[in-house]
Amino acid sequence: MFLNELLLPVLMVTFMLTVGAYVVAVLDRLIAGAFGAPQAGSVWLAPMARGAWLMTQHANATEAPDWQAWRLAPALYLALAAIGLAVVPWSESLVATDLVTSVVLWGSVEALATVVIFLHGWSANALLPLIGGYRYVALGLSYILISMFVLIGVALPAESLQFTQVVASQEALWNVLRQPLGLPLFLIVGLGMTFWGPLNLADSADLAGGTASEISGPPRLVWDVARAAMLVAFSGVAASAFLGGWLGPWLPGPLWMAIKMLAVLLVLLLLGRLLPRIAPERCVTLMWVVLLPLSFLDLVWAGIGALL
Amino acid sequence: MAVSWLRKLASRTQVPVFPVLGKQGDRALRYLALSPEIELVDSPRHASVLLIAGEVPADRFEPLRRVHDQLPYPFTTLWFRSEPWPHLENVPRVEKLDELPGALITAHRELMAGQRDSAPRILTDKPPNPWKGEGDFGQGGEGMMGGVPYGRPMAMNMQDDIRDGLTLDSLTFRLGPFFSAFPPGMMAEITLQGDLVQTWSTQLAPYPQSLDPVFFTARERPVPIAELELARARHHLHRLFQALRLAGLENASLDALRLAQNLSTSSTLGGLRRRLVRSGFFRLSSMEGGVLDPEQARQIGGPAARAAGLDDDLRLEDAGYRRLRFSPACQTHGNTRARWQQTLNEIDQSLHLAQQAERDEVYTSEVDRIETPRGPWSEQGPEDASPLLDEVLPGLEWGEALATVASLDVAAVVNEGGGTQTPDELRVVQGGSGNVFK
Amino acid sequence: MNHGIGVDIAFLLLATLAVVTGWRVFRTDSMVRASFFLLVSFIAVGVIMILLAAEYLGVAMFFMMAVEMTVMALFMVMFMMNPAGLNPMNMVHQERIAIGAGIVGFLVLGAMALFAVFPDQPVSASLDPVKSLGNEMLGDSMLIFESAGLVLLTTMIGVVVLSCHRGRYGAAAEGSLPPGLEPGGDPAGKPEEDEEEEGGGHHHHHHHH
Repeated sequence: MFLNELLLPVLMVTFMLTVGAYVVAVLDRLIAGAFGAPQAGSVWLAPMARGAWLMTQHANATEAPDWQAWRLAPALYLALAAIGLAVVPWSESLVATDLVTSVVLWGSVEALATVVIFLHGWSANALLPLIGGYRYVALGLSYILISMFVLIGVALPAESLQFTQVVASQEALWNVLRQPLGLPLFLIVGLGMTFWGPLNLADSADLAGGTASEISGPPRLVWDVARAAMLVAFSGVAASAFLGGWLGPWLPGPLWMAIKMLAVLLVLLLLGRLLPRIAPERCVTLMWVVLLPLSFLDLVWAGIGALL
Repeated sequence: MAVSWLRKLASRTQVPVFPVLGKQGDRALRYLALSPEIELVDSPRHASVLLIAGEVPADRFEPLRRVHDQLPYPFTTLWFRSEPWPHLENVPRVEKLDELPGALITAHRELMAGQRDSAPRILTDKPPNPWKGEGDFGQGGEGMMGGVPYGRPMAMNMQDDIRDGLTLDSLTFRLGPFFSAFPPGMMAEITLQGDLVQTWSTQLAPYPQSLDPVFFTARERPVPIAELELARARHHLHRLFQALRLAGLENASLDALRLAQNLSTSSTLGGLRRRLVRSGFFRLSSMEGGVLDPEQARQIGGPAARAAGLDDDLRLEDAGYRRLRFSPACQTHGNTRARWQQTLNEIDQSLHLAQQAERDEVYTSEVDRIETPRGPWSEQGPEDASPLLDEVLPGLEWGEALATVASLDVAAVVNEGGGTQTPDELRVVQGGSGNVFK
Repeated sequence: MNHGIGVDIAFLLLATLAVVTGWRVFRTDSMVRASFFLLVSFIAVGVIMILLAAEYLGVAMFFMMAVEMTVMALFMVMFMMNPAGLNPMNMVHQERIAIGAGIVGFLVLGAMALFAVFPDQPVSASLDPVKSLGNEMLGDSMLIFESAGLVLLTTMIGVVVLSCHRGRYGAAAEGSLPPGLEPGGDPAGKPEEDEEEEGGGHHHHHHHH
């Protein structure tokens, strides 16, 4: 019992965290290289070398930070990514925790991420991280709402709040076709939640790194790994909710899942490299005035589909 | 064993360098941006090597000391074309640009291998001001608020909101002179309300910039227009590089830099422009801010003025340019978007002019009144326009304000090519607020 | 009731965490810390609810409290750009009333836990807690309530969008003012400006946009 219920899921999630974060780092470098960033040395070794350097660098101090929150925030963000990865089903039976309310649990991961990111920016007791933290909170609420409505949309046809059931309900038709608005909206939420690429407003260049601008050494390594792992967790959720998860012909389920997750990751990383950072004010308007109404429409569409 | 293995791996990473730009240090910055083994970082906390590129004037030593001490251990410094402080021992100094990346890599590797000790802290590690909380519970002052703990007033509602009536606490701080999104050398005292700029006062003007030598030659004798126009396009591309980096378009910014590096009369802007339009640079980024009225536009001059609808251009008075049927193209809105569109149009125009001028071997005819990429130069060269930021930036959001700063070329021009430089004007520095030096 | 020792240990740890962080709420000197200690306390209670097989309520607790505490902390701190730790504040007020209310609340709830007779009706193992909770709370009206909730949220957003930026008299950003009663007159329905205010501090009337 101990082995099955505790040790195996923990090992599985740890494995996915490590491999996932590494894959994100390599993919992002490959994409940057393809678009003309100068590169030296091996792409495969670069993330490791960077990690090793951050391990040798000391963690710095600022003037009177909130030490507990400052040191905990990166670890908490990593823990949230781990929770997200734990609810992603790799096949009917291969899932770390098959909670009956796993969709709601993912929703609370998104909500708690807002808390953690804000705390990370606030606790450094420095100006630029603080602004980054505030920016995320101002936008995070709209991400959560959009994601919530889109996820209710996929829970309706499954008549369940469980990701395994959501995947099973896509046997006949994937949600990406059944609810065409869902996946694009959810991908935008994903970029927002991991503050990646065009929606990187919390850790942006105009804030010299935002919430991360005052951290160095191991905490920074954890923060970077956590962001990458969150991106992986997000792509797992997106693949389960919209792309039929493990479903697919010929290949075994987990392999299909991996392929779909990679596809989602690739799209997100490409968007991250191709688009400029959106102006925060414009982003707020876009979220509340355009995307949130679209997510209502998606929900109404899903509801009518479920009633018929 | 394990540690040495870790350090060996760590020495193979891209070298994270925080550049502190002295006078004319931006050339080194651009060179390093294209070096594959170097990673330029925006925060000193993210760096392994502190690069002091170009001579830092004495009035910026204090902030430089603070930046120096912000690098986490282990770190080292490298001085490029500037004199290391005497009390720093065994500090390498580099003179040649092409030796710079190699020197940085060596510095990082030696640091990782333990062959070089980490640089020591210069300042003592204690708060600049003692704690002065007054309340019974250690809070700032009487009641819940007030007081000046650590020499800083508590953030409080002291100013009216200037935008929409939502009054938040305002926070005053100083940024620069080594903040990567500012023109090199500029320092400002800023009051923010949320992320809205409430007041902006430029404390230190940016270093005077040196233009391509051909502009100084053009003040003495007629020069080939082709050469002049290529230098102009290059200057604008360098500014575009900075702005695209700030906007999060790293790859496009490197494209702009490469284009500038290999600029010839056969270069075209089409590819880069298409890429920018497609990426949504003009639609998604912060582009609405920094509207200049005609008076302000005239003060800055150059492309910024033409983006605000003034068709002043000294090239119109030049017979050479008249032969090429030059006429300035203008934008009307005068905001950041208009300035970048104007800049792209002018780069395009310069490339066309250069092409024509090279074919027909056209030379300039005017020497007393020439149009530099920074603005008109008749009796006096373009002067520092950074005080203008104090008027333009209040009311903008932080991102919008920085995008505006990037789109305005405010630094003065060095009067003679590589010769004497005007001392920077140090404006009144007010005390009593938090300092952030990056 | 058969459960492993692991559940007991988890319960004790979580209960301790909930109580300790609840106590820290009153001992800390910053509003942000206070609200996030409260959040940790609530999360610990949420996990206890999951241990009690109330899976939906437990997870919903994480969700709701996370958003709630963020909004609370944000609104409190929004009006104070007060970075961490730097400017500690006195976080307790009206101590006597608060202590009295706390003791009374504790006694009442404690008495209920000790003296109330709880029903002993084991549910069948096949019962789906999430579905039955939904049926118990809203039954057939679920669709109506869900739709009403959505409509309400839409209305709220609509109201904010309509009122915040472009009001009846122009954009809020440009100091939306009603027109005067006579051409060129003072804006209608605006109180007289305070003369002293004009004299002191600087007013920013002009606006760059």
